[in-house]
Amino acid sequence: MRLNVARKWTKSLPLRHYSTRCDYRQVISEKNPSVNAFVNVSQRPSLPPSEDLPLSGLAIAIKDNIATKSLPTTCSSSMLRDFVSPFDATVVKLLEESGADIIGKTNCDEFGMGSLNVNTIHGPVKNPCNASRSQSEERSAGGSSGGSAAAVAAGMCDAALGTDTGGSIRLPASYCGVTGLKPSYGLISRWGVVSYADSLDCVGILASRADTVKRVFDSIAQHDNLDPTSAPLEIRSLASEHASSLLKSSSSILKDLRIGIPQEYFPEEISSEIVDHVRNVIAQLKSRGAIIVPVSLPTTEYALSSYYVLATAEASSNLARYDGVQYGTYVKSGLDTDKTKTAQIYAQSRTVGFGHEVQKRILLGTYALSADAFDNYFLQAQRIRQLIKDDFNRVFRIPNYFSDSPSQSEDLAGTVDVLLHPSAIRTAPLLEDARSDLSSYVQDVLTVPASLGGLPALSVPIPRPVEPNSTNSDSWPIGISIVGQWGTDDMVLSVGKALEGLNEN
Amino acid sequence: MSYQRLLQQQTRLAASAFVVAPSLCRSSYIFNRRSFHGFRKYQEDPRWPGWQVIVGIETHAQIKSRRKLFSDAFNSNLDDEPNTHVVPFDAAFPGTLPKLNPKCVDLGLRTAVALKCDINRRSSFDRKHYFYSDLPSGYQITQQYSPLAMNGALQVTTAGGEPFTVRIKQIQLEQDTAKSTFNPRTRTSRIDLNRAGAGLMEIVSEPDMRSPEEAAGYVRTLQSILRAMGSSDGNMEQGSMRCDVNISVNRKGETPGTRCEIKNLNSVRFMMAAITHEVHRQIAFLAENPGEHVPQETRGFNEDTFTTFRLRSKEDAPDYRYMPDANLGVLVLSEARINEIKSTLPPLPHEVRERLLEKYPVLRDKARQASLDVLLVNNERVVGLDGEDAGGAIRWFDELCEGGRDPALVLNWLTQELMGQLASRKETLADNTLSVSQFGALVDMVASRTLTGTSGKFLLRHMLANPSQRPMKEIAEELELIALAPSTSSSPQLHALCTAAIAALPSEVAAVRAGNKNVLNKIVGHVMRASRGRADALVVRVLVEELVFEEKNA
Repeated sequence: MRLNVARKWTKSLPLRHYSTRCDYRQVISEKNPSVNAFVNVSQRPSLPPSEDLPLSGLAIAIKDNIATKSLPTTCSSSMLRDFVSPFDATVVKLLEESGADIIGKTNCDEFGMGSLNVNTIHGPVKNPCNASRSQSEERSAGGSSGGSAAAVAAGMCDAALGTDTGGSIRLPASYCGVTGLKPSYGLISRWGVVSYADSLDCVGILASRADTVKRVFDSIAQHDNLDPTSAPLEIRSLASEHASSLLKSSSSILKDLRIGIPQEYFPEEISSEIVDHVRNVIAQLKSRGAIIVPVSLPTTEYALSSYYVLATAEASSNLARYDGVQYGTYVKSGLDTDKTKTAQIYAQSRTVGFGHEVQKRILLGTYALSADAFDNYFLQAQRIRQLIKDDFNRVFRIPNYFSDSPSQSEDLAGTVDVLLHPSAIRTAPLLEDARSDLSSYVQDVLTVPASLGGLPALSVPIPRPVEPNSTNSDSWPIGISIVGQWGTDDMVLSVGKALEGLNEN
Repeated sequence: MSYQRLLQQQTRLAASAFVVAPSLCRSSYIFNRRSFHGFRKYQEDPRWPGWQVIVGIETHAQIKSRRKLFSDAFNSNLDDEPNTHVVPFDAAFPGTLPKLNPKCVDLGLRTAVALKCDINRRSSFDRKHYFYSDLPSGYQITQQYSPLAMNGALQVTTAGGEPFTVRIKQIQLEQDTAKSTFNPRTRTSRIDLNRAGAGLMEIVSEPDMRSPEEAAGYVRTLQSILRAMGSSDGNMEQGSMRCDVNISVNRKGETPGTRCEIKNLNSVRFMMAAITHEVHRQIAFLAENPGEHVPQETRGFNEDTFTTFRLRSKEDAPDYRYMPDANLGVLVLSEARINEIKSTLPPLPHEVRERLLEKYPVLRDKARQASLDVLLVNNERVVGLDGEDAGGAIRWFDELCEGGRDPALVLNWLTQELMGQLASRKETLADNTLSVSQFGALVDMVASRTLTGTSGKFLLRHMLANPSQRPMKEIAEELELIALAPSTSSSPQLHALCTAAIAALPSEVAAVRAGNKNVLNKIVGHVMRASRGRADALVVRVLVEELVFEEKNA
């Protein structure tokens, strides 16, 4: 079924538009030195792309924590500096089978840990928007999928894969002014995706338009036997059919669409400029027939603590394998090392191989799992995660088919189809300020709840009138997020497309 | 495969000296104190009068599946080349994910049913963390919080002892580790990932055993159950079954003492020796330190001195930081699947014994029990890999007896001769080429005295070494094995041999004629040698005696 949909989309788009418009490898060689989005670029394909495949002619970049046989997979870590995976990730295989040109690997925060794409052995990614600024005014592309977002924003590819554990696609999409989808957990295979936190990690797509995101999504959102968390087909179709049954009656998706505005997503740290723009968008949506519903997700304030306990705990476990023995960087132990303990030998490689942020998170997670802390930290965080899921299930009209016991909200009157909120509390910060404070964590307040809930979330740039000569900060991109119930990714993408069009009509 | 090459390039030998292996299993053996009262009655043991010994056992049994627990790699044999049964998941390559092998679950369930456990309809997998060279991912996937099955029981019979029940606390599925071999000269470790990620069942008993002999009885009974279920080879010497034993002692009538755990015992004999040494050690400690408890420790066993030694104290116990595995989620077992397991359960050893004794009363003879045990307990592979029916010794026995053969003769030839010769060839019934009908023909020829026992054994050895589809009779004829006197009567050939012997041994003949009958054996032996085993000793004896006295009288 998906394939048919994909073909329809393909036909409606001018294929040659992509393949002949520009030579992306040329663009990369011109722009990448200043943006630093790509860390490896593939050879130009020797054969011209076949034209009858869903992604024919599309140049797609891959975040460097997704395994590729033909290019290194460094995860921006010294630990995997020279690592080449013996296999391709399922998503890479699917992209190639769909005719895409895998153009290269993109910079990211080490093992996906960070919000600013500065924790990387490849050097920080520079936000390509308003590129004429001086060096002291260079801004972050956001993280951890900063290279993927910047590559799209700078026109170095048609689309890019990223990964999103707590906002790592949506935040850079917001900072770089591109569209980024974190799909429902379990829709896109994680086989070949280097684990940060298995229960939260999602592969997602960044592109300049929602249409392109959808094209790629349709090609790679398939069940995969190699991923034990891959959602079964029955559940996928239950959710998507339920969603389309609610919407098919009206001609415009916005007509009678119930949009929830969660009050907890406007923390005091948020910039007033962003709030103004979001208000403006809401007003426009309302004028096009959408029903705006204020909603409350009361557990949101605990989401950040829950997220950081769970994500770091899983990270401490997942990163235990990097000891330099089977693969990766191995550092010989010094003469003063106690060689009778294996852990002491490993400590040498791990101390050198992991960056500061990764070490910090491993330590936090190790503590959260220790016998004394487990109940108060890990288990408590899991309980909060359940409360957050309950919050979401209460406000959505569609039940969560991915949960153990999907149940419809009892009172449908106040329920909504999607939630809408700002993607970030501010526009892209200056790279100079990137390391200084805790604000990079506070930012995550807006993105981690959807991750904890396993829900689809799409950040689209708020359409704004182009002001070519503007020099004030207003011209930096602002993203707005659409969050749906599990499995309603198509609906979220359609709403995203409608948002993009607000300024065009 | 490119991966193999990559692994060879990328595998490095960690330069380190390892003092002790970390535990394979958690040291959380919890004594349920309430359950002690009245569960087993105190029995005086002359080795340690006035003391009660309490033993509980954690058994790790390798699951007899084709493939590993969470990967597609085939399980390996001990003699396979190192690092040849490895896929990227086993080496913990980034981006790999586990995939539960349902065959391992089925074999775990069979074991759970055979051990009368309650099966958890929902169980889950957890990660147990520690850094060690035999653990590529830095964690072992096990079932800490919600095991596959709980609350079982095993009826144990020991030679000469009363049968008793050992309660089974739980059965959990978990991954085996890799094998690391340390070379003290070069101070390097070699790592073989063939075993990494193989499926294990951890079977935890309650502390219901009271002596080394009872512990041995429990392990042997458990072995026979695992083999009958086809869930494990249960071979301690080859490492497919390993035991950790918890031991405490207390004075008669007092509450149980503090336990010590002895790790990684790999034979029943060592286990009994370890328990005996540990009991004496703990009693000596308590005698020297009145009012104190035995310090809780994890101990190892020295196979040269037959003593236990301290590995680590309770305070040094590592924190394994157990965490639910987010990839594997919950293992949900349907009623239908559990029923399927129950309805296809292979018969238990005691059930087979009862059936055989019922069907073949001649086997009830006490003298045949040892052979019957070989058939039932040290059974060949009744069940093949992944729990598939592989025929095995019981089916051979049934098929051989179906043709109206003497069950006692069949039992003897099957267990003593065929299984004995296979064992010395390191082969099994399943992988030898001799068919049931060929073996049946051989037994028939022995029964009809077409072959003597000696010739039968020779023919069997020949057939195992030189497999052939031709009729056994033909091969026997070709090898000149057919008995010289096919029936109890004589034959010209045999007659000639006897006459020749009498001619060759005049002084012995004289002695026999003088009344020294013992010397007759010497003449019979001469004939037997000359016949190359084709003669029946009894027939020869009668014939020689006849001829000796015939000549005298003549």
